[in-house]
Amino acid sequence: MTMNRRDFLKFGAGASGSLVVSLALPGCAGIQTGYQPETGEWRPDAWLELTANDEIFFTLARVEMGQGTYTGLTTLIAEELEVRPEKITPRFAPVAPEYQNPLYNLQLTGGSTSMATSWEPLRMAGAEARQMLVMAAARVWNVDAAECQAREGRVVHPNGIDSMAYGKLVELASKEVVRGDIALKPRADWKYIGKQSGRLDARAKSTGTAVYGIDVDLPGMIYGVIARPPRYGGRVRSFNGDDVRAMTGVIDVFETDRGVAVVADKYWRARKAQETLRIEWDFSEALSVSTEDVFESYRTAADEDAGESERSEGSFERAVEGAERVLEAEYAQPYLAHATLEPMNATAWYRGDRMEVWAPTQAPDLGRIAVARATDLGPDDVTIHTTFLGGGFGRRLTQDYIEEAAALANRVRRPVKVIWSREEDTRHDFYRPAMLHRMRASLAGGQLTGWHHQIVGPQILDWYVRNAAPAQYPWAPKFMYDTLGKVGLMAEGIATPKDMSAIEGAIEYPYQVDNIDIRHTHTDPGVPITWWRSVGYSHNGFAVETFMDELAHEAGEDPYQFRRRLVASEPRHLEVLDRAARLADWAAPAPRGRARGIALFRSFGTYVAQVVEAGIENDSIRVYKVACAVDCGQVVNPRIVEDQIEGGILFGLTAALYGQITLDNGEVQQSNFHDYRLMRQYERPDVLVDIVDSAEVPTGVGEPGVPPVIPALGNALFALTGKRQRSLPLRAEA
Amino acid sequence: MAVMLTVNGEEHSLDVEGDTPLLWVVRDELGLKGTKFGCGAGLCGACTVHLNGQPVRSCSTPVEMAAGGRVETIESLGGEDRLHPLQKAWVEHGVPQCGYCQSGQIMSAAHLLANNPAPSRDEIVAAMTGNLCRCGTYSRIIAAVESVAAGSSNQQDA
Repeated sequence: MTMNRRDFLKFGAGASGSLVVSLALPGCAGIQTGYQPETGEWRPDAWLELTANDEIFFTLARVEMGQGTYTGLTTLIAEELEVRPEKITPRFAPVAPEYQNPLYNLQLTGGSTSMATSWEPLRMAGAEARQMLVMAAARVWNVDAAECQAREGRVVHPNGIDSMAYGKLVELASKEVVRGDIALKPRADWKYIGKQSGRLDARAKSTGTAVYGIDVDLPGMIYGVIARPPRYGGRVRSFNGDDVRAMTGVIDVFETDRGVAVVADKYWRARKAQETLRIEWDFSEALSVSTEDVFESYRTAADEDAGESERSEGSFERAVEGAERVLEAEYAQPYLAHATLEPMNATAWYRGDRMEVWAPTQAPDLGRIAVARATDLGPDDVTIHTTFLGGGFGRRLTQDYIEEAAALANRVRRPVKVIWSREEDTRHDFYRPAMLHRMRASLAGGQLTGWHHQIVGPQILDWYVRNAAPAQYPWAPKFMYDTLGKVGLMAEGIATPKDMSAIEGAIEYPYQVDNIDIRHTHTDPGVPITWWRSVGYSHNGFAVETFMDELAHEAGEDPYQFRRRLVASEPRHLEVLDRAARLADWAAPAPRGRARGIALFRSFGTYVAQVVEAGIENDSIRVYKVACAVDCGQVVNPRIVEDQIEGGILFGLTAALYGQITLDNGEVQQSNFHDYRLMRQYERPDVLVDIVDSAEVPTGVGEPGVPPVIPALGNALFALTGKRQRSLPLRAEA
Repeated sequence: MAVMLTVNGEEHSLDVEGDTPLLWVVRDELGLKGTKFGCGAGLCGACTVHLNGQPVRSCSTPVEMAAGGRVETIESLGGEDRLHPLQKAWVEHGVPQCGYCQSGQIMSAAHLLANNPAPSRDEIVAAMTGNLCRCGTYSRIIAAVESVAAGSSNQQDA
């Protein structure tokens, strides 16, 4: 990719002076800083750009939604390049093949994969650039490169006195070629990995200057809102367009695939005009299920179809025959909304032969497909400028909000920003699926001899392939998009990957049991779903770890010791389990009126054990303390790991205590934070996080804190009340 | 209608409908994007600004109710080069994750400390409980506010 920086169209410093949006070429949206280097830049690879002015830019291919890529991935580069992380300016990546997530062949941020997939390539990139700079300096001084050292953005002469700044070496370094292997620094020499604890985005996010999607400002920009059908799949039959068009500031009112759009010069005018819309809907194809119907359909499906075998060892049926006791339990979990604090929004500008979009998105390449669907353009005509994300949690992997903005921009031919209300964000989400779990286990001689887990519910890829499959084939003609979606997502172009979203966390059942039978009964009630922080692990964690607790009590054994015995041969599981128990002082009795529950769960390669201490106060569940041990391999930024784990715990507790989206005849019944509650400051428990010191390859931390806290709380409530709760959210009056 | 407002020390005469929420006036008429839209119903606190020295939810404050008043937004606290002690504490404690709620959090904390320079833990929790954070930065927020509260009492002692 070559580009001439002086060709950039630059504008938009508003009254706040905080936002400068640069247009035109991908890769150059100086959206955080507005800074444009002047001369002599060098791009040793897809990620790095060094300038003669001693600036270092790093193209960040995994979006920043709070999970810390902006800091963590920059730290990898800094370590090998031998500069302080603060010296590097991250920039959000344009859509390009080199920025794809290799696990998905898509440019998406999700699955707690950012650190794991960047660990090698980013350090290699930093190391290669450093070696080229050193070689260039050695050539200038006519000394052996091996005798020179890179330090703090300079190359130091073998005499230890003279040095040259990287900026001075940029032009020469660009001509060097590293032959042979690129040498990564040994662990003992690390200055930042495992030690860095600040956040590079903290300053912008504490001064109100960080630019989120909703903050994008363009000249002549107008605002769009959309009245969507109250039931998913509803269509517009008719509406009072003329009345609404006559209102102050209204520019256009028209039907789209998603409902009736109102475009006005100001956001509030668009909203007020929307309130006067009278729409007659056609619900003939619309969703009509209620929550009870969903679970009824799951039970029927479970009765009729034992499901696809996902893991089978020994013979569960024989274990049952030889058992003294067989335990059965059914667990149910509701739909959940993401509730990112920044509501869905996107800004689009149709510019004749191309479209530019500014959006907080976790998958900009899918965003291009969404634009292509809504316009006469192809994906290559679309530029997506990614901004900071005010929360993602999986919601922004689905690009419906970009498709809307594109449809509006396509019609009004001016820059238009679509902003969802909180009510719309809650009611038109793609949800964490409601799920049902049927568990059976056999006990003989006090031993667990058989484990049977039937998972009942939909698969997320069925909903996700619509845009994900075409994104893997951006050259495919548009008439093929739906075919590609039906064929499925092609991993590495050859095979349809297995959809793990329903079964992850169930099939990795870690306990030593001879007879295991794990099945998935696939049934989809048609409620829109997508990835939600920790995905399948979020519901399987509750089912597996609550049932383990039931079994421990049935076997008359301490729930910690019961698990301990059954993971004795799994050292990383055992380590976090022991640490969490120690941190929580498990052996000592809980304070009066409180009880403890424990859970152990591995997700996204990260091992987590948690002990929750809870009670009931004024008819409400009160969580006092969460002790957590985590093994995520090599830690890059200890404070971010702690924060992600604690954040995951609060996210999980919010789901356990309050989370449920319910449907009545296809209509979502919740709307805002009064009836879709989030945990508040005064409800926060004390959270203790103990991180295992490890040199293993780093694994993700954004999601693994979530799953175990839900069963750990339920198990604590059982210890407190003697009553087992098998559906969520948990209740004080069990 | 014309509404007179003093925002961050600057006087403005604004031609907007009186029922427009102060939030959208600050963001779109004045370009001060640090104040965020979260819920539109005064439930999350992301839009917190000070009106005549009191914290208000700008998303549900019609601009006509603020007419003639004095408004302070996050931008008034300090810029990137000149941080308010709370902003400095926010950076040092690495408080923000996604960061979207933090302008509102800081504005609530700033009002608390302006009126109660050495609040107890319970007073801090009570003052901050109207501000939602979906990422779960609550404990860092308390630590950051406490560090400034302690610092300000030390300064008074010195």
